Amino acid sequence: MSTTAASNRHPIRLTVNGEVHEREVEPRLLLSDFLRHDLRLTGTHVGCEHGVCGACTILLDGAAVRSCLMFAVQSHDHEIETVEGLGTAEALHPLQEAFRDTHALQCGFCTPGFLMSLVPFLAEHDDPSEEEIRHALGGNLCRCTGYQNIVEAVRLACRRQRQGDAHGLGEGAVPGEMS
Amino acid sequence: MKHLDAALHTRGESAYVDDGTPPDGLLHAAVFGSPVAHGVVRRLDVTAARQREGVVAVLTAADIPGDNQVGPILADEPLLATETVHFRSQPLAVVYAESPEMGRAALAAIDCDIDELPAITDPRQAFAAGEIIDRPRQLTLGDVDAAWEICDVIVEGKCDLGGQEHVYLETQRARAWPLEGDNLRLQSSTQSPYATQRTVARVLGLPLHRIEVDVQRLGGGFGGKEDQASPWAAFAALGARLTGRPVELVLRRDEDLAMTGKRHPYQADFKLGLSEAGEILAYEARFFQNAGCSADLSMPVLDRTLFHSNNCYRIPHLRVWGVCCRTHLPSNTAFRGFGGPQGMFVIEAALHKGAAALGMPREELQRRNLMVNGDLFPYGQRVLESRAERTWDEGAALFDLAAMGRRVEAHNAEHLGSKKGYAVMPICFGISFTATHMNQAGALVHVYTDGSVSVSTGGVEMGQGISTNVAAIVARSLGIAPRRVKVESTNTTRIANMSASAASSTTLLNGNAALLACHSIRRRLDALLAEKLSLTADQVVSVLDEQVLVDGEATDWTWNRLVQEAYFARVALSAHEHFATPNIWFDAVSGKGRPFAYHVFGSALTEVTVDVLRGTYTIDRVKILHDLGRPLNRSIDLGQVEGGLAQGLGWMTLEDLRYGDDGRLESHALATYKVPDVYFMPEDLEVRFLENAGNPLGPFHNKAVGEPPLMYGIGVFFALRHAIEAYVGEVSLPYATPLTPERVLMQLHGRRLADIVAGTDGQEADASSQDEEPSLTTA
Repeated sequence: MSTTAASNRHPIRLTVNGEVHEREVEPRLLLSDFLRHDLRLTGTHVGCEHGVCGACTILLDGAAVRSCLMFAVQSHDHEIETVEGLGTAEALHPLQEAFRDTHALQCGFCTPGFLMSLVPFLAEHDDPSEEEIRHALGGNLCRCTGYQNIVEAVRLACRRQRQGDAHGLGEGAVPGEMS
Repeated sequence: MKHLDAALHTRGESAYVDDGTPPDGLLHAAVFGSPVAHGVVRRLDVTAARQREGVVAVLTAADIPGDNQVGPILADEPLLATETVHFRSQPLAVVYAESPEMGRAALAAIDCDIDELPAITDPRQAFAAGEIIDRPRQLTLGDVDAAWEICDVIVEGKCDLGGQEHVYLETQRARAWPLEGDNLRLQSSTQSPYATQRTVARVLGLPLHRIEVDVQRLGGGFGGKEDQASPWAAFAALGARLTGRPVELVLRRDEDLAMTGKRHPYQADFKLGLSEAGEILAYEARFFQNAGCSADLSMPVLDRTLFHSNNCYRIPHLRVWGVCCRTHLPSNTAFRGFGGPQGMFVIEAALHKGAAALGMPREELQRRNLMVNGDLFPYGQRVLESRAERTWDEGAALFDLAAMGRRVEAHNAEHLGSKKGYAVMPICFGISFTATHMNQAGALVHVYTDGSVSVSTGGVEMGQGISTNVAAIVARSLGIAPRRVKVESTNTTRIANMSASAASSTTLLNGNAALLACHSIRRRLDALLAEKLSLTADQVVSVLDEQVLVDGEATDWTWNRLVQEAYFARVALSAHEHFATPNIWFDAVSGKGRPFAYHVFGSALTEVTVDVLRGTYTIDRVKILHDLGRPLNRSIDLGQVEGGLAQGLGWMTLEDLRYGDDGRLESHALATYKVPDVYFMPEDLEVRFLENAGNPLGPFHNKAVGEPPLMYGIGVFFALRHAIEAYVGEVSLPYATPLTPERVLMQLHGRRLADIVAGTDGQEADASSQDEEPSLTTA
C-alpha cells in the first residue's frame, strides 16, 4: 500500500453480527459498500443510493438505519447487525418465517431491508394497529408485491409472537399449495 | 407451495449478479454519456482518461471488433454513438478500471465536444417533422366512415399519457469472464438471455455458441430488462474480450434512470359514435407513440396498443391508427402491459366523454357494450370464451357496486371539503407474444439416480415465481415432492434460442415445455414398468407421492426404485422438449389474424376520496374479480395481481417522468420520481379469483397473470375524475396522466388558481376549456 493511500485510510473497529472486524477504510467509503465489498455481506442490497428505498437497512446498535447514508468510519465502535445475522438456516427468525409463509416477497431485492426495518418494530409491538404497521413499513419500497402480503407478514409475526408460536405454521398462514 | 427462493431471500443469500465472490482481476466498467440530447460529435478524445490512476482501458466505437449495433428489431441503435448523439446520456465511451470509483473519476477526463442541435421530446412535434420509425400501423373493422352517419352522439377528444420508469430495485448489471479460446461467459440481469447472447455475439463479431449467458435471478425486470439489459452486458463483454480480464458493470441509480428507456408516453386523438340507447357504433383513434431515439421494441408495443384499443368492448366500426415517433429521449421499451394499457386508457376516456354526452352513468355505457362470444377484436380474432360480462356482473354483485355508488353519492351530498368518486375498470388482455415466432420454449429435465430432478427452462426468475411454478409442474407431473426438484439457472448452453420472459407467457410456454419433457420421461418409465410388472395394455400406471400405482393400487415400487431400475436397464432419464403455442398467427399487412392463444378478463371497482382544498387524495378501495383459469399457486398469482395493480395505480397517479425541453430527465432519482409506498396502497384491497373457470391451453388449466392486473390501475384515474367532477360540475377536463395531486388541484380550481399565481386574478376564470390543461408553470 502506498503512503498516500495509507494516509487516506482510517482504522475502524466494529462488531458485525457478533464478530469483531478491524479494517482500514477510505473516509468516504459508504457503510453499505463496506459491508458488501469489504466484508462480503452481500445480503444488504443497494437500491436507490440515497436513502429513499430502504433496501440497505441494517441495525446500528439495535436501531434500523440506512447503510447507504452512512460512512463506514461512522460505524467505528458500534455494533451492526445485517440480514445474515438474522436467524439461521435451521431456525429462521420469526420475521423471516412470516415473510416466507405469507409470500411477502417476490424478486427478493428489497426483502432484507424490510426485515431489518421490522426487527426493532417487532421487539416493541405485540399487537400493532394497521396504522402502526404501515408506519413501520413506510420507509421501504417494494416494486413487486403491492405491500399487501408484507403487511400480512407483520401481522402474522406479531400474532405468533403473542401466541409464543414462533416456529410452527400458526393461524393465518396463507395456503399456497396448488389447487 | 412457498416461493422457492423464500428461504434464500429472507436470509440474504440469494445471489444477484454482483453478489458472487469477485473473480481475480475483476475490472469495473463506467459509461460516458452524452451531455446533450441531440448534436453532432466534433471531438471525442479519451487520451487523458486513459492516463488516470487505475484505468486499464477506455474504449470508443472504433474499438468494437464486431458490429456497433444493438437494435433488437431495426439496426438503428449503436452501442456507442459515433458522429451524432440522439439522447442525453447516450453512451459514447466506456472506461474499464480497477474500481468503480476510479472508473467514474476517469469519466471527467474524457474530452468531448458536441455541436448541440434542437431536441424534440414531443411525439406530435416529431411526427410533424417527419421523424417516424418504421411504418404507421392501422387496424379496421366494418366501415367507420359510413358509420358516423348512423350515430346519435359523437364525441371527440385527446389524451396525453405519461411514461413510466420501471424502478426494478436492482439496477442494470452484468459480469463477463473471458474464457479459453474466443469464448466468453456472462452473468446478466436480463429477462432475455438469448437476446443478450445475440447482442454480445454481434458486437464482438463471434458466433452465438461462443457466448454463454447465465441468469440466476433478477431483482425485478417489469420489461425494462427485456431488451435493454443487453447493451450493459455487451459493455462488460467488450471489456473482457479486449483486456482479457473479467469485467463487471453495475449502473448507479441515476445512470440507470437517465440512460435506459421507459414505458412509452403516448398522445392520442379519439372519436366515438354512440346510439341514443348507449350502443357503441363507431370508434376512431390515432396514437402518437413517443418511441424515444430508436426503434427498440416500439413497433410491437404499438401493435399491442392497437390490438387492445377496444379493451373488452364490442365495436362494429373501428379504425385505429398509430405511429412510432422518434424523439430525443432514451429509447422507450417494454413495460408490463407492453402498449396495451395506453390503448385501453383511450377507449375508457372516450366512453367517459360519451357517457357524459348521453347523460348516462359511465358504468352503464361500459356494461352495455361488453364483448360476448363471437364478437370481433380489431385484429379479426373472435372472442371464443368471453368472460367480460361474467367478471363484471359477478364482481358488481360480490363487491356491491350499487352500494359503492350510493356511498359515494351520499358522501358528496354531505361534504364540501372532500369528494368521493368511483369507477369500474374491466380488462381484457391477449396472451401470447404478438410476434408469433416468439411463442416457443424449451425445457431440459434430468432425473438423477437418487431420484432427485433438475429442470432447466428458458424462463427467467425475476420474482414472478416461474421457478416455483416450474417446480410444481414437474413435481406434479412426475408424482414426486416439489423438494425433489431443483430449478436451474437460465442458461443459453442448456436452452438455446429462448424467448424473453415477457408477455405474461413465461409459465404458459416454459411450463408446457417442462410438462412435455416430463411426459417423455414418464413414457419411458411406464414402458419399463409394463415390462417389469408384466402389465397388460389396459392397465394404467401412475406415480403419486413417489409411489408407483397400477390401476390405482399401490405396488412395492417407489419412485427411487423405478429410477434405479431404469438406470440399470439403460433407459434415458433425461429429456429435452419444445413447446410452441398452437393455432396463432398474424398477418402484419392485412392487420388480421389470431395473434393470441386466449384472453384474460377481469373487473375492478375503485373508490377514492379527494381533498378539494389540497388536491390530495386517498384510494379507499380496490375490489378485483380476476380470471385466472384455475390458479396454479394462489399465493404467487395473488402476488402478481396485487403487484401489477400497484404499478398501474402508480402509472396513473404518482409516477411523474419529467423531461426538460433540452431532453434532460429532471426526475432522475427516487427522491424525485415517486413510486407507490405502503401508505399509497388502498386500505381495503380485495382480490378474488373467478370460480369455475378453466383454460385448456394453460398448464393445469391456469391462465397467465403477469401483465393484465396492471390495467386495473386505470380505474383510479376515472374514479378521481368522478370525484373532481362532483366538485367542479359537468366540465370537460383533459385526459392527461399522471393525475398527480398537483394536477388534481389545478383541475379542481382551474384557471383561477393559475391566474392568482400569474397575478391576473379577477379576469374571466373558466376551468372548462377542453383539452388544454391549466398549469402553474404555463399560466
